[in-house]
Amino acid sequence: MDKEVAIVGVAQTKYEEEKADLPYSELVFEVVKKLHDELGITKDDVGSIITSSNDFNDGRTIASMAIQDALGAVGKSESRVSGDGAFAYVYGVMRILEGTYDTVMVVSHCKCSESNIYLVNNSIFEPYYQRWLGLDQVSSAGLMANMYSHKYGITQEQAAKVAVKNRKNALNNPYAHLQKAVTVDEVLNSKMMAYPLKELDLPPLSDGAVAMLLTNKEKAKKYTDTPVWFKGHGNCTDAYYLGHRNMTDLIGLELAAREAYKMAGIKNPMKEIDVAEIYEAFTYHELMNYEALGLCKKGEGGKLIDSGQTEMNGTLPVNPSGGVLSSNPSMANGLVRVAEIALQLMGKAEKRQVKDAKIGLATGMNGICSQGNCVIILEA
Amino acid sequence: MSEKKEEPFTINWLTDLPYRYALGPVASKFFRVLKESGKLLAIKCRKCGKVLFPPRSVCADCLVEMTVDDMVELSGEGSLDGFTVVNYPFVDPNTGETRPFPYGYGAIKLKGTDTWMLHFVDETDPGKIKPGMLVKAVIKPKNERKGTLEDIPYFRAVEKK
Amino acid sequence: MVKQKVAIVATGQTKHRSRRRDVNISEMIYEAVKMALDEAQLTPKDIDAVVIGNMDHFEGINFSEMWTGIESAPGYLKPVVKVATGGTTGTSLAAYGYYAVASGMYDKVLVVGWEKINEGGATTGIVTAFDARWERPALAGALGPLALMASMYMWEFGVTPEQAAKVTVKNRRNAANNPFAHLQQPNMTVEEVMNSPVISWPLRLHDCCPQSEGACAIVYAGEGVARKISDNLAWVKGVDTGHYYTYGGDDVMHKYPAAKIASTRLYKKVGIRNPLKDLDVAEVYEPSSWAELMWTEALGFCEYGQGGKLLDEGVTEMGGELPVNPSGGVIATNPIGATALIRVAEAAIQVRGLGGKRQVPDVELALAHGFGGSVWADLMILGKEP
Repeated sequence: MDKEVAIVGVAQTKYEEEKADLPYSELVFEVVKKLHDELGITKDDVGSIITSSNDFNDGRTIASMAIQDALGAVGKSESRVSGDGAFAYVYGVMRILEGTYDTVMVVSHCKCSESNIYLVNNSIFEPYYQRWLGLDQVSSAGLMANMYSHKYGITQEQAAKVAVKNRKNALNNPYAHLQKAVTVDEVLNSKMMAYPLKELDLPPLSDGAVAMLLTNKEKAKKYTDTPVWFKGHGNCTDAYYLGHRNMTDLIGLELAAREAYKMAGIKNPMKEIDVAEIYEAFTYHELMNYEALGLCKKGEGGKLIDSGQTEMNGTLPVNPSGGVLSSNPSMANGLVRVAEIALQLMGKAEKRQVKDAKIGLATGMNGICSQGNCVIILEA
Repeated sequence: MSEKKEEPFTINWLTDLPYRYALGPVASKFFRVLKESGKLLAIKCRKCGKVLFPPRSVCADCLVEMTVDDMVELSGEGSLDGFTVVNYPFVDPNTGETRPFPYGYGAIKLKGTDTWMLHFVDETDPGKIKPGMLVKAVIKPKNERKGTLEDIPYFRAVEKK
Repeated sequence: MVKQKVAIVATGQTKHRSRRRDVNISEMIYEAVKMALDEAQLTPKDIDAVVIGNMDHFEGINFSEMWTGIESAPGYLKPVVKVATGGTTGTSLAAYGYYAVASGMYDKVLVVGWEKINEGGATTGIVTAFDARWERPALAGALGPLALMASMYMWEFGVTPEQAAKVTVKNRRNAANNPFAHLQQPNMTVEEVMNSPVISWPLRLHDCCPQSEGACAIVYAGEGVARKISDNLAWVKGVDTGHYYTYGGDDVMHKYPAAKIASTRLYKKVGIRNPLKDLDVAEVYEPSSWAELMWTEALGFCEYGQGGKLLDEGVTEMGGELPVNPSGGVIATNPIGATALIRVAEAAIQVRGLGGKRQVPDVELALAHGFGGSVWADLMILGKEP
């Protein structure tokens, strides 16, 4: 599957706390229009469309119905993955590989401002045993962070460094929601949300949308001199009940990464990958990601952030865009990660560009605390 | 001693999910004008000329953006091209209560537009309906209008003089 | 070109019922999954990926696939994805399963559709599928718009309620031959339909589909693997997930333009010139009796306005030139997340000759169709030959 499916263009909205005057269909139109204009195409040039969205987040059954007009999907073959956008990218890749379509547009959106995120996320827990507990993403994350840091001796300062790094990186990203650097002290002194997670250990809630155009090998050169090729992917789902899961090591992510590396022929990720955009749902989570992705040994996530190797000037910059800690349009996060890597490999990442980036890694996440994991490897 | 067959357990759960949907500039103008002057607006695509109701920001065929400046006034009259009388109970997600029934519901082609509006019709006897008959939107008096679609409680047949 | 051809090697369904109070959601889904895996003689380990779907709002569980994909299907430590597109959920799931294998990404994919519909409020959920500003205030679930379509169809073409009632009679009688069907009514008559209460004029109770609880599972496999699993396969010839305007009122609903466009496109791709002659059986998603008449027109089985005549002449009856819905269709069984997938499963059963009492003789090509959303049309064509 090497060099068979290319990303030829991406478009993003500026991520904001509340795009109060725009229904999510308008956000989708904004990125679709931007993408079409940039590539000089009309909706007739798009063979098929894959979208990602979530009914509970959008407050609408069949949430994708609202965006058909904005997508230019009238009379076209469109489908929808209910969940994170990274999985929609993979579906788009599958549609190109199957051969019927030359071009597939992939779009993801979410407006966190329109729903009560805590109730939406509490609804992920089934009503027989768990929902009564009032768990949601934040409280589950707190449990995970606590168990992880306890097992491996990760400190709150080490976790805080993730926020410091990502929030600083966001200053270079014109699309990022939060554009203000923070210090370790500010993180440690921010309001306690779910021990040990404080407000600045957690992402904001953002509105936004992202779109990209995928093409097959032949069509790619028509649109760009810098196509970004699909190189590998892994998808792995961990157990549903938090009590069944290994809460200190992201097993699902580890297996997904292994699959992706195998497909891409990567043996030493730290050396061979030039830039990574990972879905860090909270600060400790990024450290857990380092370990599961094989960037360091188990339990040494804290050491890795201390070493500075994942900073912009380090061996493997992680989240030059500022990550989810700077922009969190929930369901769109995974596709944003793919879009940011695409920009890096195209050399179009401007102030947040990692020099000579040739191979990139993006991750997406479904469910609570990395239950569903998608790891994607892209190549310039 | 006979064993009592176990009754399957069930649990009840009520979910209340609040949402705040953004209206968008075009819909906002529609509802503002409806509230203030009781008039209905549609929107016209600059490229293909189609007049669309409900007014929206994107013409799906041309993938062109339309703005509040493209909105056109309607007479509120139209032809009733489809009709039904909803005669079954269900919980209205807007109120959490059962919506009162029976009620008339129709597909109305508003004069001057190229689309059908699906809305309440003030009639529950299909025998009184003629296909394509002229109907007009009934608008609430100004002091009762809130700037939502409820300001148009229903369409009613226009009596031929 | 496709990396590998794709075949359906096994299917499974629950006996669909109004209420399955004897099982919880996971247990119900597992019944269908087990049936499919047993037929294919596969263990859970053998499955490469799971794609599962339902309508979240109907049961009120967000990210339901994170739970059901692990507990009812072999998704643990495997890829699990949800596809949910309303009524077309089942066929969209089937499309995903097809692309997942045809792309070469996976060799054996389990596709599951389910709904435990009476545990939540389906009509309430359906109302929320529509625009809160413009459509929800007056919309009455799915039946309201379906009734409007029936009235527009009746007014334009003069099709009568008796002609529509014949669809119910045909399908509910067909359902009596289908051990999985919900409403098995071998003695249904036009009179009984016409005497049933009016639910949403002109739709009477027996013109409407039920709300069923059930699940359906299908195993897709790539050519090499498929041939090892079974020598009785249903090959996927083509797929289309045809979508249309956001607002249903933007076009002539009863002419079902999305189906016209998608079927024209798909028939061309598969090499079908005359669907009535080239197809041997069709499983269409008819949420009301009137709808089946309209769909036979939009899918090209006859001209617009001739749907009633087509059934009057027995063309779509069992034994006719193109039997439609030997399984009983949606008017006999409707667990929404599974309904469209059941169309694909039943089409596969027909191609593989496993239909027992509902088998149409000598099936080479079968059409499965899904309906939902703002009048969308999903299509999958299955054949005896790859």
